[in-house]
Amino acid sequence: MRSDAAPTGMVVRICGAAGDGNIAAGQVLNRAVTRMGFRVMNFDSYPAEIRGFGKSVAHTRFEVERVWTPGDGCDCLVALDDAHSISETARLRDGAIVIYDDRPPDWHEEDRSVAGFVVPGMHGYGVPLRDLSTLATKGTKARNLVAMGALAGLVRLPADPFREAIRGQFGSKSEEIREGNVRAFDLGWRHATERLKKRDRFDFGLAAPVVERVGKAEILSGNEAAARGCLDAGLLMYAGYPITPATKILEVLAKKLPKAGGVVVQTEDEISAIAHAVGAGWAGTRAATATSGPGLSLMVEMLNLAVMAEVPVVVIDSQRGGPSTGLPTRTEQSDFRLAAHGASGDSPRPVLAPADVAECHALTFKAFEVADAFQTPVLVLLDFFLSNRIEDVSGLAEAAARFGTYAEKRATAGEGGYRRYALTDDGVSPRAVPGTEGLFHPATGLEHDERGFPSYDGPNHVRMSDKRHRKMAALAARWPEPEAVGAEGPLDLGVVSWGSTIGAATEAMRALAARGLAVAGVFPRLIWPVQERPLRALSERSRVLAVVEMNHGGQYADEVERVVGRRVLRVARIGADPIGAAEIAEALVGARKEPGDSTAETAETAETAERNGTGGGQEHGT
Amino acid sequence: MGGAGEHYVIIGNGVAGNRAAEVLRDGDPEARVTIVSDESQPFYYRHLLRDLVTGAVGEDRLGVRPLSWWSDRRIRLRLGQRVQRIDFGAKTIYLAHREKLGYTRLVVCAGSKPRVPETLWASRAHLTVMKTIEDARALRDRFGDVRHVLIAGGDMVSVRTAAAFLLAGRKVTFLVDRDAFWPIEPGPEQRAELAAALRSRGAEVIEDDAVVAVEPVGDARVVALKSGRTVRCDVAGAFFGLVPDIDFLAGSGLDLERGVLVDEHLRTSVEGVWAAGDCAQVYNPDLRNWWVSVGWGNAERLGEVAARNVLGDAVRATGPAESVLRCDGVVVATRWWVDLP
Ligand SMILES: Cc1cc2nc3c(=O)[nH]c(=O)nc-3n(C[C@H](O)[C@H](O)[C@H](O)COP(=O)(O)OP(=O)(O)OC[C@H]3O[C@@H](n4cnc5c(N)ncnc54)[C@H](O)[C@@H]3O)c2cc1C
Repeated sequence: MRSDAAPTGMVVRICGAAGDGNIAAGQVLNRAVTRMGFRVMNFDSYPAEIRGFGKSVAHTRFEVERVWTPGDGCDCLVALDDAHSISETARLRDGAIVIYDDRPPDWHEEDRSVAGFVVPGMHGYGVPLRDLSTLATKGTKARNLVAMGALAGLVRLPADPFREAIRGQFGSKSEEIREGNVRAFDLGWRHATERLKKRDRFDFGLAAPVVERVGKAEILSGNEAAARGCLDAGLLMYAGYPITPATKILEVLAKKLPKAGGVVVQTEDEISAIAHAVGAGWAGTRAATATSGPGLSLMVEMLNLAVMAEVPVVVIDSQRGGPSTGLPTRTEQSDFRLAAHGASGDSPRPVLAPADVAECHALTFKAFEVADAFQTPVLVLLDFFLSNRIEDVSGLAEAAARFGTYAEKRATAGEGGYRRYALTDDGVSPRAVPGTEGLFHPATGLEHDERGFPSYDGPNHVRMSDKRHRKMAALAARWPEPEAVGAEGPLDLGVVSWGSTIGAATEAMRALAARGLAVAGVFPRLIWPVQERPLRALSERSRVLAVVEMNHGGQYADEVERVVGRRVLRVARIGADPIGAAEIAEALVGARKEPGDSTAETAETAETAERNGTGGGQEHGT
Repeated sequence: MGGAGEHYVIIGNGVAGNRAAEVLRDGDPEARVTIVSDESQPFYYRHLLRDLVTGAVGEDRLGVRPLSWWSDRRIRLRLGQRVQRIDFGAKTIYLAHREKLGYTRLVVCAGSKPRVPETLWASRAHLTVMKTIEDARALRDRFGDVRHVLIAGGDMVSVRTAAAFLLAGRKVTFLVDRDAFWPIEPGPEQRAELAAALRSRGAEVIEDDAVVAVEPVGDARVVALKSGRTVRCDVAGAFFGLVPDIDFLAGSGLDLERGVLVDEHLRTSVEGVWAAGDCAQVYNPDLRNWWVSVGWGNAERLGEVAARNVLGDAVRATGPAESVLRCDGVVVATRWWVDLP
């Protein structure tokens, strides 16, 4: 049955055992639909341990319009392995498609075939994936591409972008492999168009959408974009120790940085990694490291040194489930406190949090400028979801510009008696790199005077602490304030979110606005220091102010409450998957105050919800 | 017998299968009950298919009951899953997507399929039949371009379908096949009356002729008749009645003739296997012969009888008494066919 409205996109999940080629098929799909002009988000999941065991899923959502989240539910399940795919059927939306191999080499035992779980409302399509693969390539490995052909033929997406994507994807392989894969795709396509009786509603009419973009689209993961941001910013020294989900940054830079004249060191641990980077930063080189929560915990002492000695360095933290080694392949935003406040002493340093892949580039790029301009370590908070999800991006250079420009204050030689830590209005002292003639100075983790010499004098400590905090205030004043997005005037709901959760919050807001609620959001990218004015302004307009994030109880919500001076609704949860738009919308709408209620009651609603672990989204998860 | 270890499997999601499932569930609350059908559509009214084609009703009107009916009763629906063969020794069903399904007791309610006379087998691909919702959807999707329909046959479905198509403003040529008036049994007078009724609605009725071949010409069909005449139309429909759909059981070890041979308790020749509905050929000890029935009400009754016997009863299936039915204003005798809302 066909519905009248043409679909604008779909969510596809390709599921198999690790090694079945599901991730590769997903990459082909991403490339192909990006070529067609769709906006894409891909977020794969694979077993926590080293690949090669268990289930893995390539998840792609493509849409005519900007995609903010991987989407709730699934429109098409491609089953490359039946046993693993069965549990996936629970996510399928009404009207979804299931593509499976109806000619497996062995008969499935009862309830071991995904086809047996295709229930009314879903559309199952059997395709002899292995047989067609063997026909195309003499082996069954290409069945993932047969499945892509079947999918494309079934939902009528143009075939040529897929063929190009396959040739691109397997560009480094022999022509025989490359063309065999294209043949496999073609056989799947033909099977779908000639043999399958189409019953579902997905019909793209072989047409590509018209999408306006700045520049050429490419597909990048958050980690790749962050690595690119490092390179574009002129990074010359990268030291890292592998850790999921940040390893890819090291991998990309290990390949590319030496070609750009830089150095990559894989160190023996995270302490050493950040020590390398701080050393290089001190020496005047743009330097960085990337890690995840467990690594960041180890780096705290060196971060403090960089704060105290005022050394520019960039630290990317791709958050994962914690504490400790926690959940390496699960996403979470629970390192905010560690990033912003985790330290001995008063140790202020900026924390940036990109919302999407393009911003992983932009904010990493900006982090170097901010680090140099404010002579400070800068943390960039990614998370598993953001690091690994893939989006189509274009116009990266333009995107970074909207976060302002920050110039360095360099010291000029010759004055004598160089005061490396001179007290200034904005706290930033003209900086000289070590070894500059006439500007020699000590650098230490001990409290110091303006010239850098250790000082345990109380009033000096106060002045120097003030200076370090003044830099943060100066940054907060110069960083472009986040604009409220959404409705104007009085609001039923004000929403604050940060990092990768901004996407789901944005989609949830749209859904609520469509339901007639007055909703607006403020989504800071500079999450510490906090730019207070926009939060207060939003709060003043909002009956209920909610903070959406992925941690236990609301780490950023504490910060927002401090600023706005009232209780906020905490839509905070942890759990395996990224928080979804529908889930947020439900939590928000559930807590929405009916017109006529007093503001005090609103606060209480939030409070009660929090206390009871009900409403407020808190009941979801773990 | 019965209880948690029991797995009743019913092949067929028609009226016989669903009635059987209901009775089995009521009689044995702990057992597993599974319905397997190669059709993807949940249980629906076949008599409304003609109205689906013309657009008089939408698909939402076809469903007999909401999906919650099965889930509430913990009856597992395996739809869109074709039974390829059955190993009765191992009590294992082989599904076409290559999954094995075990059962402890099996009720075959595989229903019927359109009969196409042997003489027309070569033209089969160019003939339109209407048994399933898929058939009806395919015709509905092109019905806007259809001006002229030839209906060959004369079964109950054909008369009603012709009337619906005429009402929808289509030209209908009705080619009467004497043998196809089944399961109704009109006499010569009633046949003439039926023809007159169709004519009065605007149909062209051709008697004493037969289709010999159908050829496609673009989207159109050219139907060659025995008399030498040809009829050019957009749809050539074959409505020669329904026959048991049992090809998948050939060679399985089950005794088959026109349908699945069952005794008066609807037991097949294989222990633990019953059959009911259009697919069954039921022994009548009084007549010492087997009867095949096509009709909703009778299929439902047989489904119930089979299930009760599966549960340990010894109910006898009796053929319904001859009754009458009004067809297009004409009163005709029928045994099995019932008027559905
Ligand atoms: C267009 C039309 C109009 C009708 N109108 C009337 C009417 O007005 N009054 C009346 O009394 N009767 C009417 N009938 C007849 C009535 O619908 C049938 O008698 C009745 O459906 C029989 O029910 P059943 O359960 O025995 O079989 P069916 O309804 O035929 O169901 C059998 C099911 O089993 C499935 N099946 C078969 N083989 C396999 C396999 N190997 N694997 C898996 N599944 C399989 C079939 O696909 C089918 O879904 C009409 C029939 C048609 C086609």
